[in-house]
Amino acid sequence: MNENAIPTRSISADDCAQGRLLTLNIMRYDPQVKGDSPRMVSYQLREAPGMTLFIALNEIREQQDPSLKFDFVCRAGICGSCSMVINGRPGLACRTLTAGFSEPVITLLPLPGFELIGDLSVNTGRFMRELSERIGSWIEAAPAAETIDQLEAPMEPELAEQIYELDRCIQCSCCIAACGTRLMREDFVGAVAFIQVARFRLDPRDQRSDEEWYQIIGNDQGVFGCMSLLGCEDLCPKDLPHQTQIAFLRRKMAGAI
Amino acid sequence: MKIIYTDALVIGGGLAGLRVAIAARQRGLEAIVLSLIPAKRSHSAAAQGGMQASLASALKGAGDNEDVHFADTVRGSDWGADQRVVRMFTHVAPKAVRELAQWGVPWNRVKRGDRQAVINGQSVTLNEADDAHGLITARAFGGTNKWRTCYTSDGTGHAMLYAVDNKAIHLGIAVHERKEAIALIHEGDRCYGAVVRDLITGELIAYLAKATTIATGGYGRLYAATTNAVISEGIGTGIALATGKVTLGNMEAVQFHPTAIVPSGILTTEGCRGDGGLLRDCDGHRFMPDYEPDKAELASRDVVSRRMTEHMRKGKGAASRYGDHLWLDITLLGKAHIDKNLREVKEICQYFLGIDPVKEWIPIRPTQHYSMGGVRTGHNGETPTLKGLFAVGEAACWDLHGFNRLGGNSVAETVVSGMIVGEYVADHCYRADINIDTATVNAFVTREQRRIDQLLQGGEGEKVYELRQRMQQVMMDAVGIFRNGPDLERAIEELQQLLRRSRNLRVSHPVSSANPELEAAIRLPLMLKMALTVACGAFARTESRGAHAREDFPERNDAQWLKRTLSRWPDQDSLLPELSYEAIDVMTMELPPGYRGYGEDNAIAHADTERRRAEIEQIRHASPEADRFELQQAVMPFELPEKYRGKNQRIGVDYQ
Amino acid sequence: MDPLQSRSHFARAMPARLDMIQSVSGLILALFMWVHLLLVASILISKDAMYWVAGVMEARFLSADGHGYPWLVALFALLILVVFMVHGLLAMRKFPANWRQWQALDSHIRRMQHGDTTLWRWQAVTGFIMFFLGSAHLIIMAMDADKIGPHLSADRFISEGLWPMYLILLLSVEIHGVTGMYRLAVKWGLFDGDDPRRTRTRLKRLKIALTLFFLALGLATFAAYVKIGLEHAPQAGQRYQPGLDQSLAPGVHSPEGKHG
Repeated sequence: MNENAIPTRSISADDCAQGRLLTLNIMRYDPQVKGDSPRMVSYQLREAPGMTLFIALNEIREQQDPSLKFDFVCRAGICGSCSMVINGRPGLACRTLTAGFSEPVITLLPLPGFELIGDLSVNTGRFMRELSERIGSWIEAAPAAETIDQLEAPMEPELAEQIYELDRCIQCSCCIAACGTRLMREDFVGAVAFIQVARFRLDPRDQRSDEEWYQIIGNDQGVFGCMSLLGCEDLCPKDLPHQTQIAFLRRKMAGAI
Repeated sequence: MKIIYTDALVIGGGLAGLRVAIAARQRGLEAIVLSLIPAKRSHSAAAQGGMQASLASALKGAGDNEDVHFADTVRGSDWGADQRVVRMFTHVAPKAVRELAQWGVPWNRVKRGDRQAVINGQSVTLNEADDAHGLITARAFGGTNKWRTCYTSDGTGHAMLYAVDNKAIHLGIAVHERKEAIALIHEGDRCYGAVVRDLITGELIAYLAKATTIATGGYGRLYAATTNAVISEGIGTGIALATGKVTLGNMEAVQFHPTAIVPSGILTTEGCRGDGGLLRDCDGHRFMPDYEPDKAELASRDVVSRRMTEHMRKGKGAASRYGDHLWLDITLLGKAHIDKNLREVKEICQYFLGIDPVKEWIPIRPTQHYSMGGVRTGHNGETPTLKGLFAVGEAACWDLHGFNRLGGNSVAETVVSGMIVGEYVADHCYRADINIDTATVNAFVTREQRRIDQLLQGGEGEKVYELRQRMQQVMMDAVGIFRNGPDLERAIEELQQLLRRSRNLRVSHPVSSANPELEAAIRLPLMLKMALTVACGAFARTESRGAHAREDFPERNDAQWLKRTLSRWPDQDSLLPELSYEAIDVMTMELPPGYRGYGEDNAIAHADTERRRAEIEQIRHASPEADRFELQQAVMPFELPEKYRGKNQRIGVDYQ
Repeated sequence: MDPLQSRSHFARAMPARLDMIQSVSGLILALFMWVHLLLVASILISKDAMYWVAGVMEARFLSADGHGYPWLVALFALLILVVFMVHGLLAMRKFPANWRQWQALDSHIRRMQHGDTTLWRWQAVTGFIMFFLGSAHLIIMAMDADKIGPHLSADRFISEGLWPMYLILLLSVEIHGVTGMYRLAVKWGLFDGDDPRRTRTRLKRLKIALTLFFLALGLATFAAYVKIGLEHAPQAGQRYQPGLDQSLAPGVHSPEGKHG
């Protein structure tokens, strides 16, 4: 049946060479099952070239433990579903290559600060929706002057690019899990909120004034609660400019009183 | 039994589904969106390169309009598309881009003056007009005569999805996350909603609605190597098929994208080639002009994917431990351009390949990418056989794409069809009510509960992952880029065996709440049936059209095959779908079949083609005074909701 | 304006004000501490130099009898004490408020091994220490404002046995101050420039350099007072007489120093 497939040839000798034996220590806990309690479980598997945690975890689920729960959607680093704590630090599992670990032992924990669905799966969706409603993460505009039949309102090309730069956040929640402030105080909104506020504040289509933004984030749950620990800046998988944007908002909000 | 009532139930929280919900909400209706995951994580976010709409503001888009977009799309579809739908779509696409601009999408804009671009391997200077400054710009994509693809860097789908989901949140639309529709509730010729499983608690809930819309995307995960997200398993299409009443259209029309990275199958956008990137073989030779002197790398996807496969079969692929591949070279675009406009591509190369595309070539090969087939609907998005059931976006066979979709037309279809179908959904909600017996609803829920209980009952049985993997491999090997009779026959046989075995599935971890293995086991029989509709449709279609390429029937056979495949599964115990066909009438076409301008020119003409051409000529001659809109209406009138009928303004030509 | 509305505006503006006050008070304290260290380090030049500095602080040049006005120093110490308390209290708002919060932060710091986060614990610990030792020191200075000089200050180290306090204070102040200044810069984006990430890297380097510099200077100064304190112990409590003492900077052996 394979004659249609693209021919496979010249498989090099080192293909047959065995990869490292990886050990994945994974936190297991199913809060849906009565009497279950958190525990660490070790799984071992043979490393393959180009293996990511996406590949490794699926292999474990399909071959060793079908009950293992985790979330992947795009598996290409753009949807933000698969954030977990990888050897102590939050990151996107799908684009974490196992080859990047000098020691063949990888510890995986669910993202802290979120409702646990089970094992490595957490409910970031509810948090993000509530956050959106709290900060008004949409264009708050007067009815547009032009209809959708007419030429769109022009925008400076550089401004459009700057807005996109801040729009790139994928709400993966790594900034939340990396934030000491947020882990202490559950009502703190975190970098994911600030980057959105910065994005809509920059957008000329949004009519909100700094006084209005102050109502939203000018408090200790907002920008004045940030302790500048910069876990967000250093662990953002999308390299968003959190430090400058939070600092910028802090200046603007301080200026708005 | 828990029952939730609403006006418009939308299954799927991607761009298409959200846009339908918004349309319903804006008309004063209540809408609930069901989503497996948070809506912003939907596969729509993966659309990188852009959305086609004939705004014609950029220099290389000058002269573009609905007519050019229409012709490109019909040619791209290899005349498989419903031309009236293409008209509806191309007319509303500019409005969709402008609406999204108002909702906050930071579309890249035209910058006045000189700029450098790479066209056909050469660096050229383009001088953008003063009066276009600040308007939405566009880039080149395959199979288009104008630069028409509007974009935000290479995160277009992301920016669009975020804007649309934020709009939905603003409108207070409820998105019920981590919920999966596992069966449709229907009685007689009407659909009343769905049986929905809560993926956290495992609870079954009946959602009853005046209108139910399937917007669950494509079925790429029927294949072993796909660019699609892991959730793109086509379950919405699968539950429609499982009603036994709904027909699926053109399931064999499956697109392979030329440039997915090897081995992970992650997509690199068509924007790479649109912006000037080249395809090279193991010798570093740029081979596409040898096959396609005119369009080269920018022929349509089906053609480029086939040419690449042909070239690799000649032994010109680069060898790797994961099989042969070719190279995508974007080094000639330069660091500044890549950093700004192809940033996701750069990240993907860094994280998944460990290479820098500014300096190195990217290993790529054609990989399953898009499902042209899906739930067959009328122009209003409603299924002809179950009233109140709509489908939209990739899940639907509306039929905008025929046998091959152009790049940039899918993300465009999501929002455009969402706008149009959303209006019809709202119309329907104002006419319909929910008059179904609770006993009937209960019967549906009980049936699903029994199915789940059986999977959970333990004991010896088939393992879901094993069967799924086998299905994906069979589809890849025999129902892929090139197909032939004997292989397809064997594939159908094996898929039938797998379907039979799937009746004895058991999950090894018998927990009814959150349980990935159970989810897979619920889905697999639906997926196997879909796989069979793909394979059977491909086997029956003894011609090559668009993405469907039969080695034993290489011609496009308009004489016999200018028709749409319809599959139904009336008998749930059967191992085969029931196929029928719906003619695509040449005599109503605005653009009768002809040569696409790329690919093989080997079509067997339909008897009506010449007659229709003459007829169209006659209509043109009859009204020499008529403008292009009047002529178009005279040749092939099409419907649109009132609010989207207005003409589109463009610089230089105003509303003409 | 409607008083109700103005009150709510006042309440709303509070978080911003408190945050700014915390930053500004920190800035004042850090700058003060750097200047303070430079001043007391004058002992490294000579006892006369330090005596002169102390004299300037007491505005000795303005008084006819040449004794100056030590209450000026006392007043200043009290002023700093106020700023210090304000800063401390505001900073404490950010501390974990209960055991759960402390545990969450502590396990986070251990797990993540992230520089700027870990640094916060050092800032909290040093801040906590300073809250007690620093205020004690300031109160002593306010009460004994007239007893600042090469000998009496050194006597406090040895004869009054306060050297452990000064050593701990020194380490705490230098770590806390420089870290605080770094955080102030990133918190308000003070020197962002064209490339804020490069700026931050540079600020981190500067932070390390400044910490090392002030620690070195501080420890040398500390050693100098310890040495003088040991030498002066027999005459503890006697004031330094400028010009009478010929000893130069500590470390330079002066036979007369022993006679004091």
